[in-house]
Amino acid sequence: MLLAVSIPPARVPARPAKPLQPRRRRLPRWSEGVGLWLSMALLLFVQPLFADASEAPGTGAFHFIDGQGQWQQPATLLTTDYQVTVSGLIADTRLVQKFANTSQQWQEGVFVFPLPEDASVYGLTMIAGERVIEGEIHTRQEAKRQYQQARDEGRQAATVEQQRPNLFTTRLANIPPGEAVSVELRYQQAVRYQSGEFELRLPTTLTPRYMPGKPLTEQSTQWQQGWATATTEVPDADQISPFTVSQNDVPAGSHQASVRLTLNAGLPIGNVTSPSHGLNSTWNGDQVVVAPTQGAIAMDRDLVVRWTPVRGQAPAAALFREHWQGEEYLLAMLVPGQQQARSLPRELVFVIDTSGSMAGESIRQAKASLLRGLDTLQPEDRFNVIQFNSQTQALHMASVPASATNLARARRYVQDLHADGGTEMAPALDAALLADADDEDRSGYVRQVVFMTDGAVGNEAALFSQIQRQLGRSRLFTVAIGSAPNMHFMREAARFGRGTYTAISDLADVSGPLDTLFAKMQAPVMTDIASQWPDGVSEQEALPQRPGDLFLGEPLIQVVRASDGEGLEGTLEASGRLPDGTRWQQSLDLVQAAPGQGLHRYWAAEKIDSLMDQSLSGQVGSEIRDQVTELALAHRLVTRFTSFVAVDRTPVRPMNQALAKDQVPTLLPDGSQPGMIRYPQTATWSPLLLTSGLLGLVLSGLAGLFRRRRAGVRS
Amino acid sequence: MSGRWLTVVALASLMLVVAGLWIPAKAMLAQELLEMAWSESRARQTDAKPWPWADTWPVARLALPDEDLSWIVLDGVHGESLAFGPGLVRTGDHGPVMIAGHRDTHFRALEAMAAGTRLQLQQRDGQWQDYQVASIRIVDSRQEGVDLNALGPDGLLLVTCYPFDSLNTNGPLRYVVEAQRVTTAVPEVASVAHAVTDS
Repeated sequence: MLLAVSIPPARVPARPAKPLQPRRRRLPRWSEGVGLWLSMALLLFVQPLFADASEAPGTGAFHFIDGQGQWQQPATLLTTDYQVTVSGLIADTRLVQKFANTSQQWQEGVFVFPLPEDASVYGLTMIAGERVIEGEIHTRQEAKRQYQQARDEGRQAATVEQQRPNLFTTRLANIPPGEAVSVELRYQQAVRYQSGEFELRLPTTLTPRYMPGKPLTEQSTQWQQGWATATTEVPDADQISPFTVSQNDVPAGSHQASVRLTLNAGLPIGNVTSPSHGLNSTWNGDQVVVAPTQGAIAMDRDLVVRWTPVRGQAPAAALFREHWQGEEYLLAMLVPGQQQARSLPRELVFVIDTSGSMAGESIRQAKASLLRGLDTLQPEDRFNVIQFNSQTQALHMASVPASATNLARARRYVQDLHADGGTEMAPALDAALLADADDEDRSGYVRQVVFMTDGAVGNEAALFSQIQRQLGRSRLFTVAIGSAPNMHFMREAARFGRGTYTAISDLADVSGPLDTLFAKMQAPVMTDIASQWPDGVSEQEALPQRPGDLFLGEPLIQVVRASDGEGLEGTLEASGRLPDGTRWQQSLDLVQAAPGQGLHRYWAAEKIDSLMDQSLSGQVGSEIRDQVTELALAHRLVTRFTSFVAVDRTPVRPMNQALAKDQVPTLLPDGSQPGMIRYPQTATWSPLLLTSGLLGLVLSGLAGLFRRRRAGVRS
Repeated sequence: MSGRWLTVVALASLMLVVAGLWIPAKAMLAQELLEMAWSESRARQTDAKPWPWADTWPVARLALPDEDLSWIVLDGVHGESLAFGPGLVRTGDHGPVMIAGHRDTHFRALEAMAAGTRLQLQQRDGQWQDYQVASIRIVDSRQEGVDLNALGPDGLLLVTCYPFDSLNTNGPLRYVVEAQRVTTAVPEVASVAHAVTDS
């Protein structure tokens, strides 16, 4: 409105000035008055805008333009580097997390991050400029106390804590303004070997977890400073729910990971593949160096690397040995030969997670997986489909024969599924495991439950104990869906469910892993696995003590500790039984053992796992707690009760300067829909453009009038 | 010499003004074009792009019956969609919804809202759903994010920049209107009327 009026008068006098000589004196006078009034009005219009803008709290000075629009964010930039060395069956990783403080304040960085589900963290080093400080292992409370004390005294400190077996928190205190501090973690994990293929998974982010139960405290429903509120079911919800944002919401260059894998498999490697990333592999004899083709990768999905031995060289057995502190540790792997498949009629229950965290790519993967599963059914099989989110809904009351009509109906049902709501998994497990499990009619059927989910829940332990209680004669198989599934849930749920697990990485990769899984489910299972170590190894020290059943293509893996290892020789005898009564037996001469590394940590981690299994309800007895703590301190491992802490001696932050806290977000897994979002930019350039344009017009108009007046005075 | 400079400054300023006017003009014009795409996507029950090179498409219509205002809402809250209309993000297919709009164009009208203001949202199935404003907050986007799942399945969040008259395009403050679906029969008359005028 204002514009339409103000522009013409301000410009009219300038143009007709020369051709219309006679009217020259009068027009300027007239226009001068109008122009002045208009410019006054304009100033009045513009002034409050400027005043408002500069009052916006926290912005300090008024900034017109900024390059990336990131200047207000006191962001901590995060870059990570994974150096993985695989020797035999153990992968050892040096993970460097570099926190760069781009703000003008001292920062405390807090970062919740995933590690592989069986990762044992055994080292922490803080690198601040020239200073390198080795971390020490302490009980969790002691580490926390040392860290907080150092933080409050202005000293630099770093700590790493375990929240879940696959979820850790790094805290880094007193990062100076404009500087970077690195935390170096060392961890190891076992490489998964099955059906002739090795697999290693490096998770880089996590799918936001659903927290069942009622909030413990009455708080604002919106997310505060990054964390969910604790609930009755998940009392530590606030510790495991980092803010999850899309890549556009973190500063450019942040949340990038560089990865380098060195494979020393000890046998010639045929090929290296990845369903998640493009890879560059360089062969150097038996050693292969692998890195993602694109260089630094965004931390928005798990990196999965698979490698297979050269054809015909697939190992049937492997044995590694390590001497550590006067003790001998042995790791043995035995692969039973392929057995003749014999088909029994099956009752298959498909359970599909249709919660909100599955929205987007994940639900498409899950549907494709389920449809593929329906295809494997034989006419004599029975099946049912159960979906769950906040509620559980079954397609049929009880499982039905896999007739063409029933299958067609199930396919339509699956096609129409969509994802939203919570992840109430317990009722779904009830429905899958308890329903008609004791029905006499179906006792001749092999009962199998296929559970397709991203595992994005916070109450894992309660679910594991439920599976253990309700399993009966069923077997539970888990299929991990999405770019960053909770693999800890998949593995443990399958273990308690006496089944096995697999993971789908993307829609194009559905068939491979699933066909392997369904082949395993159809093949006979080897039970009653037993191992007999030679004298000198007590039965208590062989882990896992009762190996689970073996599915087609799966190896038997055991790790032992022998206190008097020097004279240890003889053979390891392993045996198992197939459903038709045939026995499998294999022996391994201990003399063949190759030197291995990190076996003592592997053993300790297994031992801790078996101890923790005894307390699934989450309530850990003090006896178990003491045993776990003692083992963890001896082997320098991070557990629920022990953490690493690295503390500098000299203070760096002057006490009169405050310490801000930055909760470093994690990236939203690729292909999933955001539940948590940053507020979008919702202002346009329009007012700013208009204001500066009008100001310019007024100024040039005024200058023009001034010139004319001077010219008039001179003439 | 200085006369030429004056002309250049004046012309440049004029261009700035035109550019500044173009933003709201584009936002207004686009809404007209979007009407067609929205009718088409409701008729065919698929996403229909308003113009071939668009990287967003209409997903809903938001109405303020008391103010007699309505906008076609586009998919996503990126700059491309917000330039033409309010943008929508959601979790799940029936979950809570967040709609963000530019404070200088469409969502200027949010300033006049108060607790109890009625809102209506029409999604692709053509059904109008009634919402009522539950609360209005000013938040600092550096300190807080949105957790849609905490909003409940019947939640609707409207977001725009704050303060309304600010020149700062990167300001940290947001004006957040939280509305919840109402299932009472009271606003039904209004929604029927809307459906009639709309089709």
